[in-house]
Amino acid sequence: MGVLFMTLSTLGVFLYFGLSEIVYDSIDSSLLSRAKVLATLINDSDYKTDFNFSDEMMWEYNSPKAGLFFQIRRFDGTTTEKSESLGDSDLPFQTGEKQMNFETILLNGVPARMVNFYIPYNGGKGVRGTGKGMKSKRSGLIIQCAKSIEEQTELLQNYLIVLSLSILFIMVISASGGFLIAKKALTPIKEMSETIDRISESNLSERVNVENIPEELRVLASSFNRTFDSLERSFNRQRQFTADASHELRTPLSVILSQSEVMLRKERTAEEYKNALTAIGEVAGMMSQIVRKLLTITRLGADKVELKIEDIDPGEIISESVKLLTPLAEQKGAGINVSVPDRFVVRGDRAALLELFVNIIDNAIKYNVPQGKIDISVKKETGFIISEIKDTGIGIPKSDLGRVSDRFYRVDKSRSRDLRGVGLGLSICEEIIKLHGGRIEIKSKAGEGTTVSVYLKATAYVT
Amino acid sequence: MRVLIVEDEKSLVDIIKKGLEEEGYAVDVAYDGEDGLFTAENEPSDVIVLDIMLPVIDGMTILKKIRKAGVKTPVLMLTARDTVMDKVSGLDSGADDYLTKPFHFEELLARLRALIRRGSEVNASVVEIGDLTVNIATHEVRRGGKDVLLSAREYSLLEYMAVNRNKVLSRTLLSEHLYDHDFDLDSNVIDVFINRIRNKIDRGFNTKLIHTIRGAGYMIKE
Repeated sequence: MGVLFMTLSTLGVFLYFGLSEIVYDSIDSSLLSRAKVLATLINDSDYKTDFNFSDEMMWEYNSPKAGLFFQIRRFDGTTTEKSESLGDSDLPFQTGEKQMNFETILLNGVPARMVNFYIPYNGGKGVRGTGKGMKSKRSGLIIQCAKSIEEQTELLQNYLIVLSLSILFIMVISASGGFLIAKKALTPIKEMSETIDRISESNLSERVNVENIPEELRVLASSFNRTFDSLERSFNRQRQFTADASHELRTPLSVILSQSEVMLRKERTAEEYKNALTAIGEVAGMMSQIVRKLLTITRLGADKVELKIEDIDPGEIISESVKLLTPLAEQKGAGINVSVPDRFVVRGDRAALLELFVNIIDNAIKYNVPQGKIDISVKKETGFIISEIKDTGIGIPKSDLGRVSDRFYRVDKSRSRDLRGVGLGLSICEEIIKLHGGRIEIKSKAGEGTTVSVYLKATAYVT
Repeated sequence: MRVLIVEDEKSLVDIIKKGLEEEGYAVDVAYDGEDGLFTAENEPSDVIVLDIMLPVIDGMTILKKIRKAGVKTPVLMLTARDTVMDKVSGLDSGADDYLTKPFHFEELLARLRALIRRGSEVNASVVEIGDLTVNIATHEVRRGGKDVLLSAREYSLLEYMAVNRNKVLSRTLLSEHLYDHDFDLDSNVIDVFINRIRNKIDRGFNTKLIHTIRGAGYMIKE
């Protein structure tokens, strides 16, 4: 707005001065030619100065209304002749001027342009070179010729007014137009920002409506929405974590509180204190396991983990997992049988996949019957490398199959708590497999056992 | 007083049971909803501590079912959830009180006492029968201004009789409230305890407070 005003004003000023210069120039040149014409009519000699001004010439200068004036002076300022139109007044005069010059004067309150035209005394020769006078005590003549510029000034003033009004008008039009356009253009942005303002911790699901938004802003709106989507996801994860953590830690905390408080109610034997401390230690150990696993899930889900993707043979990872779990399996008397006929290659993060298989095989051991069996096989099918872990364990009731990867789900809580499970293993596996673009399928029959199939995308080549 | 605890976290049940038993309560335990429902409907309890998240049948369902079956035993809900809505729906389902995990054992004791008092028409924590005072909060018993020392079970029996004063209480009823269902109910043991309590609170006083109602049981009254 300010820039527009500045530009228009500058342009106006230039136009005004340009125009006034043109006007003045034309007046000045006509004044000069008038002065020159007058000069030609003067026959100045030592003896006398003749003004051969014919009436035909003079009629222009007769009436003040015509706005044309002249006055002829000596260099000392004495008037020798002046036009009738001047009446009693004189054209302003300053002695000493020796150069032809133009000035704007006020004549009886009316603006006028005036030229001072100097004719030096040339020894009685006429201006046009006639005559032969030699005496030099006389000074030259000044022809002052003036023309009223009332009309022109008025014109210029009118022009100035019109110009200013135009600028003002343009400013108003462009301002209101700009305001309207801006308002129209900004309405969707305003709505968007209102929506964004409404989005808060408790109201993260609100989104900018992309459909009511002009084409140009849709990209912005959708990227806002995407940002809020991911914000909401991570926020929900955090909230879920807090809820899960607080929920699952409340019971063990109750145990610790009750243990210490009951124990401190009276004097106890060393044996009793020892038992209480053992119980507290066990519960605290479980709590730290819960916290560690919850943090793992949250970190995996928040896409914060940087996977080190490389070519991996699932068979190798499985052998490694089995090696890690052998002591536990021996303790349970579970026999693990691994049959990997071939080498396969998938793309994945070694540590994450190890965690995945350890969790699944660990479950197969934990929920197995005593002296149970675990069969692990790897095969390739329709672009996937499928690792199957089949156990002869307690199985999962059909009604619960959909809930197995829910956090803190355990098949038989009262039984499996003894197994030190906290119900987070499969949740972790789900997060890991999601990051690898694969899936986990679980088939199970209560009392007969469970088969977990891990689908990982096969790479195009086989080594 | 007999308490039923329905809670699936064994380590929590173990320590609560121990603490309550040391306070003189008889404690029954159910580790899942099914067992909890059965015990609540078939064993006499003075108060039930009921967890909400339970295997098989959840606590809220148990509560609705036992209330529908006419069981009026006061119920203290125990839960890991602490939103207002959880509390409201718990209380609306017929719970008498609500305790959020993690809780302090002392608070559990105080709330159980309050629930038992409410269930037995006794409003103060000190029950007075003549010059005998039984302080339910501190377990202090005084007769004629003098402290009476009782064992946990003796106290428990006296407390039960005191809060149910002026009522005839059968030997079976007394033993049911003194022992959990792991004990063989031999009501002769009640006679033994009554004798011991009599020796401690009635001997040497002209006014006997514990009365034998022939063929019916015992009663405590002025």
